[in-house]
Amino acid sequence: MKRETFESSLGESYVKAVCSSGVTVYVMEKPEYSSSFAIFGTKYGSIDNCFSVNGGEPKKVPDGIAHYLEHKLFESEDGDAFSKFAKTGASANAFTSFDRTCYLFSCSDNVYENLKILLDFVQHPYFTEETVRKEQGIIGQEIKMYDDSPSWRVTFNMLENMYHNHPVKIDIAGTVDSIAKINADLLYECYNTFYNPSNMFICVVGNVDTEEVLSICETNVKTKSPIDIKRIFECEPQTIIKPYVEQNLSVANPMFCLGFKQKIETPFRRLKSKICVGLLLEVICGECSPLYEDLINKGLINDEFSYEYFNGYDYACVMFTGESSEPKTVEEAIKKEIDNIRQNGIDKKLFSAVKCGMYGDAVRRYNSVSEICMNFAESAIFDYDMFEEIRLLKTVTLDDVYKRLDIFDNDLSVLSVIKPLEK
Amino acid sequence: MSVSKFEISNGAQGLFVKNSRFKTTLVSVNFYLPLNKDKVARYALLPFILTTCGKDYPSFRKLNFKLSKLYGAELTASAEKIGDYQLLKMSVSVIGDKYALDGEILTQEAIELLTSLIFEPKVQDNSFFKEDVEREKRKAIEHIKGEYSEKRVYAKNRLIEEMYKNDCYGVPKCGTIEDVEAIDGDNLFSAWQEMLQNAFIRVNVVSNSMPKGLFDSIGEKLSAVERNNITDISNTIPTKPANEVNTITERTEINQGKLVMGFSLQKFGGDVSTADSFVATDIFGGGPYSKLFSNVREKMSLCYYCAARSVRVKGLVTVESGIEAVNAEKAQKAILEQLKSLQDGNLSDDEFNSSILGLCDSLKSYNDRSEAIELWYSTRISDKELLSPEEFAEKVKLVTKDDVIKAANGIKLHTVFLLLPEVDK
Repeated sequence: MKRETFESSLGESYVKAVCSSGVTVYVMEKPEYSSSFAIFGTKYGSIDNCFSVNGGEPKKVPDGIAHYLEHKLFESEDGDAFSKFAKTGASANAFTSFDRTCYLFSCSDNVYENLKILLDFVQHPYFTEETVRKEQGIIGQEIKMYDDSPSWRVTFNMLENMYHNHPVKIDIAGTVDSIAKINADLLYECYNTFYNPSNMFICVVGNVDTEEVLSICETNVKTKSPIDIKRIFECEPQTIIKPYVEQNLSVANPMFCLGFKQKIETPFRRLKSKICVGLLLEVICGECSPLYEDLINKGLINDEFSYEYFNGYDYACVMFTGESSEPKTVEEAIKKEIDNIRQNGIDKKLFSAVKCGMYGDAVRRYNSVSEICMNFAESAIFDYDMFEEIRLLKTVTLDDVYKRLDIFDNDLSVLSVIKPLEK
Repeated sequence: MSVSKFEISNGAQGLFVKNSRFKTTLVSVNFYLPLNKDKVARYALLPFILTTCGKDYPSFRKLNFKLSKLYGAELTASAEKIGDYQLLKMSVSVIGDKYALDGEILTQEAIELLTSLIFEPKVQDNSFFKEDVEREKRKAIEHIKGEYSEKRVYAKNRLIEEMYKNDCYGVPKCGTIEDVEAIDGDNLFSAWQEMLQNAFIRVNVVSNSMPKGLFDSIGEKLSAVERNNITDISNTIPTKPANEVNTITERTEINQGKLVMGFSLQKFGGDVSTADSFVATDIFGGGPYSKLFSNVREKMSLCYYCAARSVRVKGLVTVESGIEAVNAEKAQKAILEQLKSLQDGNLSDDEFNSSILGLCDSLKSYNDRSEAIELWYSTRISDKELLSPEEFAEKVKLVTKDDVIKAANGIKLHTVFLLLPEVDK
């Protein structure tokens, strides 16, 4: 087993190891904690709807299949995974996002037994045409729930108009029509492709012994021949579809999502870029910024206002979301502030305050076993040392952050608005 | 981990939860006042206005600058209903001094900041400033309106409102839009004075070490206030069973319907006496081993979510589910059948053991989240003796199958609220 130990200035350390099966394992001991948190994940999400294996023909699968597979993996011939965890007291769950599917549990007792259950059920798919069909009702309900969620809709309406081809524009759960095309054979095909140990990771944080965790992972993850998976995306033009989109829903306050598409040349963003963009967003419209104060005082935004650097395999954009009676005025104000910073530079005092704040937030994240575990998953997907964040936050400069202003191009912005129903 | 209790002054307690696992210190000042329809909105606005500006921090930009320089110290505010009381909470969480990069003192400064905001607000001539009041009022009104946008929240709120029409518990936690509109600088200042004079106060600290002088300094500040009429927090009126079940249906433009049911609970009150109701609600509709999840969701595929929760201090159980409109009646029937089945004693060893194990396991993990521990202690107002999550887990372990069945028999349907699409889908 190949292994490496990483240490941080905060007094934390973790081990990263690659088992003989090819699965990568991350373990952080937190002996003073009562509980543990674990994730068994695969680098497979909703964007993986077209792929080729070992150089073969491209295969297109129905939208929403990664999420469908997540639901079905909980079942096996000898009862579902929930009933196994029920015997140990753990609390189990799973989620699918654009670029990953994660199965997880948290527990205070029986952590090793729970880990074995987790590893076992994810490696034992069992579906028949009948059990697959049965799930359509529940997932259909889940899709409808999201169709009613204004915060979900406002984001996807933006993405749908920002991206011509990239599957990040497609709803994670697919549609009622697309999931109707899913059958047992397709599920097995996707499973056998993406649930290969070489494409997977295990993260365990909490009251555990590293050696014991590694030994369980070594023994309980079966070796499969490594495969070469190629994600196939249609070429994404460096343009948007439409700069403005609106939808009427049963809401009281209008909502908005303003996105800026980034022109990218490589599939992944580096950690340093992510940190710099995060700091830049704080400078533009964080709670210490003049713009935030102005928008609040003018009644244009409220506490729901938020922003993020949204990025993954071959997609990257900045999003500003919130509630506002005048979304277009907010859009103009954000663009004006970006121009202002571009011309006059970043205020040094503001930069030093937001940097300090972000460093504190990063330290705070090490309070929570679940947050550390989620960070491990992120670092597994993007292949970096989690502690690098703390180091970069100490050294990043105002110039580094200023340079990131190039991600804002007004010709690539999309404003999505949800308005109340017209009576 | 250990918990120590201190008497700060008349009607004010301090609680120090010593916990060495966190990199932060959390201090939370909790004010408890009776729920009162006429005052709920102005009381609810207090934590928010007090944590956005202060005498020394006239603008929230200045305040936020300070918080950032304290390495992202988090200042939070909330107003919640706990039984028949309103809980106004203001907290600060800050990373330990040893993590500061230039030897800054963080903990003491963050705590002084919190107490100064609470006790030295930005006011003039016994009135809050108009621009601050109007800003917070607008945010509060948008927040109240925003609850309509998330239909799961809206449906639950409407159920509570209908179920407690003649009870203070039916009052929305931040009041109505009209109540908020009636707030001005003067009446908000009076509300602030009433909060200091009449509230029962609990200051909770979750940290590796007790911040020096914190409780003394709060005691000193309170000694300047006349505190003769302190809220007794032990008088929540339990939910009475309904003579007749009330069903309300509303329609709006949505894809998925919401079915929310409210039940009265015969066994109500604090943790010590209601561990049986806690387990009964969990087996009815808590974890994935529960009757609602395994039957109504998994076997019958009637809803993506279908869960029961209890508010034992008020003697209330709610069931929330998202359904297709055409299945509304079928789902309601199925949920009630599951309750009936539990009441009739259909309780397998697996269901029972899974619930006890699952509940005890998650109770033990409370101590790993500082906000969760603080919330645990600040929301337990009915017990004379304050149990820790582990101590409560020990009470849960003593519950028997017979206790569960008896407690389940005390769960009675009271009100049903249905939110359906304009046209059945």
